[in-house]
Amino acid sequence: MKRLEVVKGEYYDSVTLMLVAKELKKIEGVSEATLNMATEANLHIMKAAGFEVDGVNALPDDLIIGIDCPGDLFDGLMEMARSYLSSPPWKSGEEAGEYTPRTIEGSLSVLPEADIALISLPGRYAAVEAMKALERGLNVMLYSDNVSLEEEIELKRYAFRNGLIVMGPDCGTVVINGQGLGFSNACPLGPVGIVSASGTGLQEVMVQLARRGVGVKHGLGTGGRDVKSAVGGISSLIAIEALANDPEISVVVVIGKPPSTEVREKLVQTLRSCGKQSVTCFMGESPREDELQLKYTTGLEECATVVVALLDGKDAGKAREDLMNEYLKIEALGRKSETSGRFLRGLFTGGTLCYEAESIARRYLESIYGNNPLKIGMKLPDSLKPIQNSFIDYGEDEFTQGKLHPMIDPSFRTGQLKMQSEDPSVAVVLFDVVLGYGSAPDPSSEVVGAIKGLERKRGPLYVAYVCGTSGDPQCLERQIAVLKEAGVRVFESNARAAIFAAAATVGRERR
Amino acid sequence: MSMKKLLKDGPKVINMGMEQFYIDLKAREVPAVRVDWKPPLADRELLGKLKKLRGGNFV
Repeated sequence: MKRLEVVKGEYYDSVTLMLVAKELKKIEGVSEATLNMATEANLHIMKAAGFEVDGVNALPDDLIIGIDCPGDLFDGLMEMARSYLSSPPWKSGEEAGEYTPRTIEGSLSVLPEADIALISLPGRYAAVEAMKALERGLNVMLYSDNVSLEEEIELKRYAFRNGLIVMGPDCGTVVINGQGLGFSNACPLGPVGIVSASGTGLQEVMVQLARRGVGVKHGLGTGGRDVKSAVGGISSLIAIEALANDPEISVVVVIGKPPSTEVREKLVQTLRSCGKQSVTCFMGESPREDELQLKYTTGLEECATVVVALLDGKDAGKAREDLMNEYLKIEALGRKSETSGRFLRGLFTGGTLCYEAESIARRYLESIYGNNPLKIGMKLPDSLKPIQNSFIDYGEDEFTQGKLHPMIDPSFRTGQLKMQSEDPSVAVVLFDVVLGYGSAPDPSSEVVGAIKGLERKRGPLYVAYVCGTSGDPQCLERQIAVLKEAGVRVFESNARAAIFAAAATVGRERR
Repeated sequence: MSMKKLLKDGPKVINMGMEQFYIDLKAREVPAVRVDWKPPLADRELLGKLKKLRGGNFV
């Protein structure tokens, strides 16, 4: 029996709601439990799940709890939900009892030396709170999306005039003095400074550097729109100058999808005159000839490889060539691999990892559809029904409005992965697993659960990349082992996994 | 606190929103405080009025 209850005026963050729902689902007799803020998007999702939401008197700031259980259990479960919300069992006593201020002013009385506000509120409130933080002299990391372009420009201009920086909106990762905020991996501190317009792009370069023994001092996110004409690269330019002036930084790196022409020119000019070795990684761009102080890369692992060569005083061109030779070997392996079906499905939680993988796959496969395709005209009519070769980024707004990002709660991507694996036309399923602070506790086991439950007689070839380090809370080695035990081919970088998967699909499409 | 100060001595973080980010910072002993943020009351009143105007269909 499906029943609802509205709790008026109670706001909780999405992670807390997910954890309470998980606790309730553990109880015998509960076939579904869902706790959501009553936004329009969430009410639609609950309706689709069979809950009777029509006529429910709820505002977006009310909590709505839906439970599917035998009728006599409902009241007790509601009581349990309230108890978990007021005193979460997963928190230590000290945490649960500590003083929590209600405003930025109040928090400054607890931590007067605070220097940054990390804001992950719903988009409609985020810009107001970000401005309050700036007015109190705090830098801002704006994780929230759904912040308007006008608000972004106003915030960034205000920050610029006042010697501050706004990193975001839609900024998932920032690293300051080796300490990550938001989604970040356990990486060493080192002589590299990175400016990044993409979250998982920054994570991947940091992870690849860490695996080569190199650390990062600062990784400053900017949000993807920063390098578009309207914003003009305000935060990117501030960040490059700051890194260039840091005597502990030897190499300055700029990462992102290709910027607008005018912003690209500004960024390149600033790098040329910054007095340090620098490397750009604008994914999907055509390769350009290196300059003495400035190297151009178009792939995330390539970027890390070139940075390491510069730090070691080695020839960047030779390092790049060696990497490309390794890629050729992987391509050959891919072409030899056996599978049934015809098409490739790329199913990602990391937006930039999806973008990079698709840009690689395009070199092998004629047409690739997607929910955010690289080629105009290839947008899927329905993101839940991929066709032929398709790449889906489950971190796009259409999947995250009122829901958790799939790196925190991968269950939706897992369900989609299982569904698409059952499609006999699918030859290869390529996916990412992103580890680190902020990410799900055991993402590989989630995927493996779906793979093991497959009904299709001969399943597709599974190809994965695990973005993480040995120091991450999820334990990189264990996550890889879990996937390998289930027959997944796991590669050492996002690029390598994409090359193998695309090469394994080549020639199958027309069968 | 200027950006220069942040890059020299930071991060010292005020977290507003997802609590997991705060918990991860504290676990690494990064100085951090969380704000127990609630939506402003004025916004709730406005949404209530809008809902009435739209015949109860606005959520």
